[in-house]
Amino acid sequence: MIYLDHAAATPVSKKVFEAMEPYFSHEFFNPSAAYLPAKKVSAEYEAAKGVIAHAIGAKSHDLVITAGATEANNLAFSFLNKEPVFSSSGLEKSEMSYAGQPAEPSPSETNLSVSSGIYIPDFSNHFIIQKIQVLYLSTEHDSVRKVAEKYGGAAIDVDRNGRILLDDLKAKITDDTRLISVALVNNELGTIQPLSEIAAIIRKVRLDRLSRGVKTPLYLHSDASQAMNLLNVNVARLGVDLLTLNAAKIYGPKGVGALYVSHEVKLKPLNYGGGQEMGLRSGTENVPGVMGFAKAVEEVTKHLNGNRKKYALWRKILLDELQGYELVNKKHTLDNFVVLCYNGIDAERLIFLLEDRGVYLSTGAACAASKGVKSHVLKAIGLSDSEIAGSLRITLGETNTEEQIHEAAKLINEAVKIERRRR
Amino acid sequence: MTETVFVGMSGGVDSSVSALLLKNQGYKVKGVYMKNWSRNLPGMKCPWAEDLADAKRVAVKLGIDFEVWDFEKEYHDKVVKYMLDEFKKGNTPNPDIMCNQEIKFKLFYETAMEKGADFIATGHYARVKDGKLLRPVDEKKDQTYFLYRISEEALSHTIFPVGEMLKNDVKKLAEKNGLHNAYKKESMGVCFVGEVGMKDFLKEYIETEPGEIREIETEKVVGHHDGAVFYTIGQRHGLYISGNAGEVNSGLPYYVVKKDLANNIVYVSRNLNDTNIWAGEIRLKDIFIRNTVPKNIQVRLRHLNELIPAELDGDTVKFAQKVKRPASGQSIVFYDGEICLGGGIIV
Repeated sequence: MIYLDHAAATPVSKKVFEAMEPYFSHEFFNPSAAYLPAKKVSAEYEAAKGVIAHAIGAKSHDLVITAGATEANNLAFSFLNKEPVFSSSGLEKSEMSYAGQPAEPSPSETNLSVSSGIYIPDFSNHFIIQKIQVLYLSTEHDSVRKVAEKYGGAAIDVDRNGRILLDDLKAKITDDTRLISVALVNNELGTIQPLSEIAAIIRKVRLDRLSRGVKTPLYLHSDASQAMNLLNVNVARLGVDLLTLNAAKIYGPKGVGALYVSHEVKLKPLNYGGGQEMGLRSGTENVPGVMGFAKAVEEVTKHLNGNRKKYALWRKILLDELQGYELVNKKHTLDNFVVLCYNGIDAERLIFLLEDRGVYLSTGAACAASKGVKSHVLKAIGLSDSEIAGSLRITLGETNTEEQIHEAAKLINEAVKIERRRR
Repeated sequence: MTETVFVGMSGGVDSSVSALLLKNQGYKVKGVYMKNWSRNLPGMKCPWAEDLADAKRVAVKLGIDFEVWDFEKEYHDKVVKYMLDEFKKGNTPNPDIMCNQEIKFKLFYETAMEKGADFIATGHYARVKDGKLLRPVDEKKDQTYFLYRISEEALSHTIFPVGEMLKNDVKKLAEKNGLHNAYKKESMGVCFVGEVGMKDFLKEYIETEPGEIREIETEKVVGHHDGAVFYTIGQRHGLYISGNAGEVNSGLPYYVVKKDLANNIVYVSRNLNDTNIWAGEIRLKDIFIRNTVPKNIQVRLRHLNELIPAELDGDTVKFAQKVKRPASGQSIVFYDGEICLGGGIIV
């Protein structure tokens, strides 16, 4: 087996598994219980959180442990106004045509996004404007996109490499904007975003608001799920107020994530109960999960430099030995991401051919491929439909060897040849 | 010149092996997945994406072209709507028969022909000979009951590759050729809802009110139902009826014999001689006949039921002995030996 889909899932490493094991069996106690063995577990849990927090330059109590990155992303938005904020507009329906939309929008077009708000027809003959509280990158994962849309969000455009267009961001920030969400590393392309530059823009906006007496806060959230394998993630250096982490992408267990929350942001819990995680995430602590998460963080940070060199070399081998492709993620990318475009070929067919030969990889994001939905990420960077259909995502990881990389290049070349010949 | 066949591939073993057989016979084969339905229902995740991937995987393995044709709108308009309308009228329709008539052997057939097909093929167990629809070699898998309404024109351009085979051999062939779906669980019942799921499905689309269940002979209220459309004439199970004091469990079960949808009443009876349960003749509508029908025929009252000798007199099927009457909206299918002649819908 040659597994080339590490952005979709990573195996739990042996060390991580060993770190978790005792907490499934003899150290099973509920951290909230009063007796000493439980208190010991509670202390070890906090220490493990401390390890994770330390890795990103934070403290244990800055972290809320969640059941994965999706939940962390949802929680990050919880300080926003839950009910969409409307400001009514005197616009008659007929006046709406200036936006190039029919006066009577069809149900699918009801949310008519314009720069200052989302126009929604109300029951009278008027439109009301839903204020845009969130700006998110057009290439964000659905666990950010879908949530942002719920709260009233608008997308920030990217360039051909998938990098944020800072001018577009600046142009879209209004006094209604309360949150900007930009993933540190994109999950389909591996694109690294210039978060500190975004943070600098945000600082300026804050100062400007302060000088004008505008009290609306503005925060920066980043989903760093894919980042920790190859990047040094530090909340102060990145300038983020909220940061999502994911154990499952760094050889830790699935279903465990964390949200870093700066003291400024006043989140609201998504669920209620025993008040664990400072009341922000009730439910008995996932002790084994967090133990594994901490070990995974420890391991991944320890090998950061070696891994960077290794993946840079492997990426180069692939780019040298593969044939007849167009490289999609050329710049500003993590080296373990190799996104290829074979224009005119149906990449899904390549995946099935390669699956038969023991090579596992994906087209765009795994979830997009299985539903026949075209990747919004590849679309956002300007790929045509046929280029999107011909795109393969290789994500390298710890299960690979250099020998495998050569072998994979050979097998992919063969599969491409089979498909080209069939045409 | 090589002839082109468009195969409807569902991801199941029968259509996969059909594609394989046609390819080996030297046809130019194109696989098509018909996307008819993709909505999840309560307690039932629609498997369309998995099915599509399974179908495509086989196409890639065979090295044939593969396309997805989106028929969701047409399927909704021609099959789902028909089905709901019939249920609302108190009938118990058979959506599979409608799906074959309107989608697979009409829309799919016509689209394939437009795109240059010489034939279409599906994984149904049936055979075609001289424009006649014949029962398949594997009698236990006979699907002619669902195919009786397909047009002569479509039929004469259709190949049923597995119709000549036993299901067991189909599975073995799939295994031998490394088609992973040899082990796939067969889909059951209606194309997109399992048999058990029909009530849940109807609940999604038809608003219902609770109402009375009455004994037809006495008009006595013997229980309550949660929506008359959910009940099928002849049905014995699922009635929330408890025996009254004094006649606790006479030992005889109740059967649904009539539905008064205007007043939302379901009528039941313990009398098995009620003509809605056992009948000597059954009247049909929308009779569809492909071939000339001899006086004495055999009929099938339900999918895979035994063939019963009968006589077709105008729009009425007459039996020598009384038969258990299927619900109105269901089909009776006519046979002359191995030939499936056509059939009609029970009034």
